Amino acid sequence: MSTPRPTVGPPRPWAFPAAEEHVLDNGVRVLLHDVPGQHVLSLRVVVPVSLAVEPAGLEGLAAMTARLLDEGTARHGPEEFAQLMERHGMALGAGVSDGGLLVDVDVPRSHLRTASSLVTQALAEPVFPEAEVRRILRTRLAEIEQERASAPHRALRELARTLWDPADRAATPTAGTPESIGSLTRDDVAGFHRSRVGPQGATVVLAGDLSGDVGSALAALDATLGRWSNDDHEPSPRPVPPRAAADRVRTVVVDRPGAVQTEISVGCPGPDRSTTHGWAPHPVVSFVLGGSPTARVDAVLREEKGYTYGIRTSFRPRVAGGTFVAQGSVRSEVTAEATGLLLGILDGAREGFTEGELRSGTDYVSRTAPGRYATADAVADESASLALERLPVDFTTRNLRAVSELTLEDLDGAYRRTATGEWSVVLVGDADRIVPDLEAVLSGPVGTVGR
Amino acid sequence: MPLDYPIHRRTLANGLRVVVSPDHSVPNVTVNIWVGVGSRHEAAGRTGFAHLFEHLMFQGSRSVRSGEHFEALMAQGGRLNATTWFDRTNYFDTVPTGALELALWLEADRHGHLLDAVTQENLDNQRDVVKEEKRQRYDNQPYGTALIEVYAAVFPDGHPYHHPTIGSMADLDAASLEDVHDFFRRFYAPDNTVVTLCGDVGPAEGFDLVERYFGALDARGEPARPPLAQLEPLEAPVRVECRRPVPNDRLHVAFRLPVDETDEFLAVSLAVDCLAGLSTSRLTRRLVRREHAALGVHASAWGFVDGVSLGLLVLDVAPGTDPAVVEAALVEELERLAVEGPTEVELETCFAQAERAWLSALASQEERADLISRLTLLHDDPEGVNTQLDRLLAVTGEQVRQAAERWLSPDSRATVAFLAEPEEAAPGADAGVADPEAADAEEALA
Repeated sequence: MSTPRPTVGPPRPWAFPAAEEHVLDNGVRVLLHDVPGQHVLSLRVVVPVSLAVEPAGLEGLAAMTARLLDEGTARHGPEEFAQLMERHGMALGAGVSDGGLLVDVDVPRSHLRTASSLVTQALAEPVFPEAEVRRILRTRLAEIEQERASAPHRALRELARTLWDPADRAATPTAGTPESIGSLTRDDVAGFHRSRVGPQGATVVLAGDLSGDVGSALAALDATLGRWSNDDHEPSPRPVPPRAAADRVRTVVVDRPGAVQTEISVGCPGPDRSTTHGWAPHPVVSFVLGGSPTARVDAVLREEKGYTYGIRTSFRPRVAGGTFVAQGSVRSEVTAEATGLLLGILDGAREGFTEGELRSGTDYVSRTAPGRYATADAVADESASLALERLPVDFTTRNLRAVSELTLEDLDGAYRRTATGEWSVVLVGDADRIVPDLEAVLSGPVGTVGR
Repeated sequence: MPLDYPIHRRTLANGLRVVVSPDHSVPNVTVNIWVGVGSRHEAAGRTGFAHLFEHLMFQGSRSVRSGEHFEALMAQGGRLNATTWFDRTNYFDTVPTGALELALWLEADRHGHLLDAVTQENLDNQRDVVKEEKRQRYDNQPYGTALIEVYAAVFPDGHPYHHPTIGSMADLDAASLEDVHDFFRRFYAPDNTVVTLCGDVGPAEGFDLVERYFGALDARGEPARPPLAQLEPLEAPVRVECRRPVPNDRLHVAFRLPVDETDEFLAVSLAVDCLAGLSTSRLTRRLVRREHAALGVHASAWGFVDGVSLGLLVLDVAPGTDPAVVEAALVEELERLAVEGPTEVELETCFAQAERAWLSALASQEERADLISRLTLLHDDPEGVNTQLDRLLAVTGEQVRQAAERWLSPDSRATVAFLAEPEEAAPGADAGVADPEAADAEEALA
């Protein structure tokens, strides 16, 4: 005999690890999160930069500058710098979003001082050797071809091109196109670094086990990132949400002759996390609509029909503005039917969610938080995101409280404000096979583009 | 200095191995279950079955309806999934402390009483889902089938690791309800299973709870066969060329390695890092930084238990470069490492990176639980989470050199070359993400 089904106890109280805030001598803000037991420290440096400041035709300049920060500095050649980092157990990454440049480092606590010194050198005194610039640009060109060959990447790129006004920076990939990357020079990169990468408005996040010695961690940051200066630094304007394209409500097929699956991507503009309506309902809606095998979309397309391994829905906030996207792949022969079913579910949800969905969705989002933010890495990432989005440090904790107080009206309102039924649909698949059947399930125009 | 994660272990009367590792820093517990069955146990004509079976574990059991496992735990703030790999199948749930008993009850119901609920309809549905998983992760990706070619090239026909975990479409089609019943009876049993609880639970309470929910399950009693003898390195190079519409040429170079957790495996894994596992590795410096002949190089050593492990180097050839030039450089560096061994700086670098990677893995309660289950099921050594790093750091440069000489000889390599050809020349053009790390365990969810 089986044992009787147990009941579930109430969740124990929990709060996002609090930040201890400091300001270094050069004005850089520091957020320290003491997370006991986390022996690898996570260091993040957030530099606000709006991608809108990239000159037209040089899209990708900010991203390439970020990738080149650790490819040679005033004190160390590129190989020597890489060697110093790896010998001290560091892993460094750098990239950009619509609102800023982010450097992230993970390092065992014993090497914090060295790590923060090397990060400071990368930010303050990169020299951008010509050979390294050429190599990184060539690597980006190859990466573009690899992204083009990837159906999910290709779909998202076409979705951005369909959703946003062609003149808006958001319509072009963050890391640039073959044309824009082909136009970049070392001087462009060095000039961008000089004018746009500086300590004004920057935030440093450090998370991990700092127990008993916050002072020495702070001293390490003060002696390094606290000495960072750039007299030529021009702060960026605050990012603004992208403009939607006038003709965004349409279907684009990206032709892949012979493809065994079609990648489906359906989207529309959405909010960022500072929305005046409150962010809390959005992750809950994502979850109940397309966040699990038993959510509305996969209950039909996966568990009932067996058409897909999984289709996910998500609100994807940028620093300013955002998107709502449903994406996944289905076998080619059911493309039209699956697309019709998906759009039907997405539109049908505008009629409202259920009490059961409200309860399971809010419990899922609020009760998974302790586990989602249990590592230094996850805490630092969230804290750095808040800094980038100019959200207050207690946003995460307050938002989780708001999640637990949501009503059905909040969920329905949040979804209806975004999902107006005006979808951009991108299908990456075999056009000859899938287009003829599409006319029956789609009302708007269907266009086809090359791979 | 050894780490000090607490480890408490016990074996129940039915043979179930239980490990409890308390960590009260977060009000969560991870339940991590490893069953000693993976694709290496599959019979000819039934490849992919262990993974298909794993999907069926979410489709209901004696007291749980189809889909309820996901639904009930997610509604309580649980994060869960399952994966299948060569040596094992893994089920894991991270739940708020108050839902620990529910997670154990749900797991025990399916690990003990799955067959009460398996239907032809569920089997057919999940067969379709798994086929879409295969299309998404392998067939619709530009280099997606490369690893399937690698396993076939480096391991002999009929060897447990010769075929991939995802299996073949024909074998998936052939799977029957009878296969499901036989497989469950043979492999899903407490004496072939490890349960790890990691998180906000004490040892006494943890053992009591596992006893309460799993204690009544019956032992299987069928002893597992002993592992196969260690496979020797290939005696002569093997080469497979695939002309595909891929963005750039890519070489996958594979080696047979000593089995997991042996001193020799640790040494050869450091040799692999020296060659191409780090951003300052020899092949990265030479081919990527200096000669610009490769866009990137990657390498890893995957430890297996049944007579062999796998070493894999992946080299993305720069456009305009002859892949033969890249392969010749690889051969030179293999020969040089076998003669000179690593420098002191290289060894120090490998150690520093291995240390961070190991501590980062243990930083997450989920990954720590998974490592404990792995070390317990495959090596009977849950304490390894505390001691394994020190074992690695004790390896000497000379041991690395010897391991490279014995296991990474150029003559022992199997090369699978994906060579770019124009799209129109290739019927059935592939398309997909170009990520050499994409090869991972098959998962139930996403």
